[in-house]
Amino acid sequence: MIIKSKWYYRVLQRALVLAMLALAVVPVYIVVSNSFRRALDIKRMPPKLFFDPILTHYSRVLSVDSFARYFINSLIIAGCTTATVILLGTLAAYGLRLFRSRLGLRLSNIMMLGKLVPSITILIPLYIMLNRMRLTGLYIAPILAHAAISVPFVTWLMRGFIEDIPTELLESATEMGATRMQTFFVIILPLLLPAVASAVILTMQSSWNELLFSLTLTNIKTYPLTVAVARFTGAMSVDWGKCSAAATITLVPIVLLGFFMQKYLVTGMTAGAVKG
Amino acid sequence: MRRREKAFHWSLERGDLLPLLLMLPALLLVVFTMVIPLGYGLFLSLFNFNMGAMDLGRDFVGLGNYARMFGDAVAMKSIWNTVKFSLGAIAGDMLLGTLAAVMLFQLTRREAAFARPIVTMPLLISPIIISLMWRYIYDPQGILYYFLGKAGVTTATFPGLTGESTALLSIIIAHWWQVVPFYIIVLTAGLVSIPQELYEAAYVDGAGGLRAFRTITLPLLTKIYMVVLFISGVDTIKIFDLIYGLTGGGPNNSTISISIYAFNQAFSNVQMGYAMALSVLAMAVAFALFGIPFTSFSGKRR
Repeated sequence: MIIKSKWYYRVLQRALVLAMLALAVVPVYIVVSNSFRRALDIKRMPPKLFFDPILTHYSRVLSVDSFARYFINSLIIAGCTTATVILLGTLAAYGLRLFRSRLGLRLSNIMMLGKLVPSITILIPLYIMLNRMRLTGLYIAPILAHAAISVPFVTWLMRGFIEDIPTELLESATEMGATRMQTFFVIILPLLLPAVASAVILTMQSSWNELLFSLTLTNIKTYPLTVAVARFTGAMSVDWGKCSAAATITLVPIVLLGFFMQKYLVTGMTAGAVKG
Repeated sequence: MRRREKAFHWSLERGDLLPLLLMLPALLLVVFTMVIPLGYGLFLSLFNFNMGAMDLGRDFVGLGNYARMFGDAVAMKSIWNTVKFSLGAIAGDMLLGTLAAVMLFQLTRREAAFARPIVTMPLLISPIIISLMWRYIYDPQGILYYFLGKAGVTTATFPGLTGESTALLSIIIAHWWQVVPFYIIVLTAGLVSIPQELYEAAYVDGAGGLRAFRTITLPLLTKIYMVVLFISGVDTIKIFDLIYGLTGGGPNNSTISISIYAFNQAFSNVQMGYAMALSVLAMAVAFALFGIPFTSFSGKRR
């Protein structure tokens, strides 16, 4: 809605928007800048805007606290989760499209009800099961959990995009003698690429940022970054310099990815809500 | 003309064999990782189980774990906290999200292109990192109290995370910081879909901005509000990460949520059966608050 407005209203409104943007940036700036400050400078109030940046926190966190390893763990877990989810979700969505009865639609709606199940309800029995199978502590454990959380949503998202492809296009492919899988790979998949991009950024960030499952399903060899950071903050006295460096290492890659995939991130999030 | 087809073909080109095969991997994953654990968990919640050997006869307590919750003051507190957190979080998300979305919608295209990546940034950050950020901000010797001190507010008047009365509110504020952007993004998409002519007509008729908002924007956004409420409202019942990082449930259990309490019972006290009963309760609360309203709403639409 565009509000018909006087000049002073417009000034006020710009000021409010600027204040909002500042509110979004300042907490992130504090953490990132603290990761380059000496312990003494972090404690100093008011904080100095200009300071001598140091890299000690990073070198300590990366080598002594083996964050380099946790970073790779996070990459492996989020990468495998995303690949699995995209593959299974896209195929399932095409399956739902081919289904002749309305059962397909109902099935995808039922899958969305899975959102009502809290992670903790699944986690406890899943932990016991995977523990019995001796799978806890391996990469596969958090990957399974993260993929299972994301697959229903991605299937549902992809189904929405596949529905939007005109039926005539698919029918003409069939008339020209294409099998159903050929139609999928040659016609549908190329048209789905923007949807795949949306699914990639959404799945990637949810796996990269997930804590609860990773906390119990991994061990010191397979911790992702979020778990390692959580173990820092659990300590009674927090070393803010080290924590800030660890937090920065965790947030920068995913924020950058989101920045470059901005358009797809927004379409993915709004498709979930607007198509309903 | 309706053509009747045979119910099932053993061919990939006709019938339902191919769609079934395509859906099978996703279904297997969901069944193995969600459906079976859920059933197994419901089963476990009837037993007194602490990861040791379980005797189906001896350890069976029936609904005992569920009955135990009503005599457990901490469990009751965790339910109450979860509901309070959920209501506070959602109320703020809706109000601040709507205000901010309408504000941002007034921007020119170039201004919006600049503002959008900044607005979406909090959404991409892990809740555990956000809890770390806000723990630093709320530190009594930290930046927030430095500026609040200038205005005469000290830890005595607003104890933040360390006060039983203010800790939950402090967590809700950190939640708003992350989730309001989601409301902004989705509501903006809703605002775009409303035809401009409606507003022009309203202004010609002499309506003010507020009245146009109430009579045009709000009614047309109802559906989006419902969906957004379902998507993000459910998450507030599951609240774990933020509390885990900010207070761990304290001080004196004043911020303990059902997920946190169930997690502690399972992984600190190894009371798996009781923890499972608690987490089933979390699911019941989610269904009661969001599942039933949402399914009846989407039922009406059809």
